Amino acid sequence: MPTAERRHHPVVRVTHWVNALALTIMIGSGLRIFNSYPAFARKGETFCCYPFDGHKIPAWLTFGGWLAGARHWHFAAMWLLVVNGLVYLGFIYLHGEWRELVPRPGVTRDVWQMVEFYVGARKDHPRQGKHNALQRLAYFSMPLFGALAVVSGIAIWKPVQLAPLTALLGGYVWARYWHFLAMLALVVLTLGHVFMVFAVDPYSLRAMLTGRYDEAKSPEARNARPFVNLRAPRPARDAAEVPPQSAPDRRGQP
Amino acid sequence: MSKLWLPRKHEAERLGLDRRAFLEAGATTAVGALATAALGGCNSRGPESASGLLAASTRWNERVEGVLFRHDAMNVAPAGAQAAGARFPSYFVSDEVPIWDEAEQGPWHLEIGGMVRRPVRLTLGELKDLPRTELRLEHVCVEGWSAVAVRTGVRLSELARRADVSPDARFVDFESFDDDYHESWDIESALHAQTLIVYGQDGRLLGPAFGAPARVYSPVKLGYKCTKYLTRIMFLPAANGGYWSDQGYEWYGGV
Repeated sequence: MPTAERRHHPVVRVTHWVNALALTIMIGSGLRIFNSYPAFARKGETFCCYPFDGHKIPAWLTFGGWLAGARHWHFAAMWLLVVNGLVYLGFIYLHGEWRELVPRPGVTRDVWQMVEFYVGARKDHPRQGKHNALQRLAYFSMPLFGALAVVSGIAIWKPVQLAPLTALLGGYVWARYWHFLAMLALVVLTLGHVFMVFAVDPYSLRAMLTGRYDEAKSPEARNARPFVNLRAPRPARDAAEVPPQSAPDRRGQP
Repeated sequence: MSKLWLPRKHEAERLGLDRRAFLEAGATTAVGALATAALGGCNSRGPESASGLLAASTRWNERVEGVLFRHDAMNVAPAGAQAAGARFPSYFVSDEVPIWDEAEQGPWHLEIGGMVRRPVRLTLGELKDLPRTELRLEHVCVEGWSAVAVRTGVRLSELARRADVSPDARFVDFESFDDDYHESWDIESALHAQTLIVYGQDGRLLGPAFGAPARVYSPVKLGYKCTKYLTRIMFLPAANGGYWSDQGYEWYGGV
């Protein structure tokens, strides 16, 4: 297809989906491990900063079946997550993709403009390169939270053998808390990411599967806000602007 | 390709999702659903076919844990941390708290045997007469909680020296009178300076809830490796599994 350009290198596409699988296993099994002690306080103490002490995560969100099983999955998938993450980071460093991901000067203004556009306070999609400012921020912070998850995970795996690392994070109890917060951040980023893919740019799925992308369908070119492309034409206020026959035409397509 | 998707400012917003994108989105959702099903679904142990891979990964992780092990890595409970005291969870596998019944079983002894040149048999009094070590440690449980306690006892390395353990012994099995509870360790962890045969906790004699009259304790192992209600310490040429290890928990269980 002449309009389709190469958007994602095969290494990026493979590591993206491997990461999706590894993260799913890590979070599911991690939540099952967490359910064995769904709190942070050291025994005999209280913990300042977790309001859901003692409340288990719903079982359907967990993976591994029982504590030992979840631990086996967690400590197996951690290698997948780490090796895959290093391949990805090494690749984007050597291949230059990191330039599309690090925040640029004026990131606050650019992010604000994107927010304004998404909430309808701004008419036109801000100009962007490969990614918009919100995407840059999300894709840049994802590896950072991933690194925090890995480092804090190692710290609670080996709080004695790697005691200095655990101490750096404030000790075993706090390292466990950072591990949990890093997971939460990854979940929020992932949910936001998946939501935006379907609500704003479903064509990016093709880019992450086959690598090809049609710039004419990009959110910037379409001026796309969340869901606007999934809505039927609004008949009310704009009715006069839309030729009456145009809507039945499209619906009439087989 | 449909002309509908050519960029037309503001017009574009009115367009519906085209069929191609719809199919792609649907296909991806299906792939995701299949992947979930392949994993065996939520709250499951995962596919049976993964068990070989998981076992291999666990063996690999145990090797990594062995490499990470250092004799000079020490645990020190944080200065500000409160001792758990009576809130320290108490675990045993018998139906009731195991209590050594002297009337029925005779006086309690701790035996040290296996690959040793001088088998040792100690009464509780004799154990207490040996060089005493007292450590304030933060304990880590496999479940994720931690708890601080002061542990009083004798270094296992001291007992091993007295028993003159053979250099060929590579593993240690800790047996108990709590049903058939036992856990075997690598000898490196057993000879760590913070691995103690504990008879006191928080300045008092070990209570029945915590493994009286004596138990093994080390901050370099997860709680389930630290056999309570100790009766016998066997130095062995090969690992001998353990109560939880045989049920699927990682055998090494290092911290």
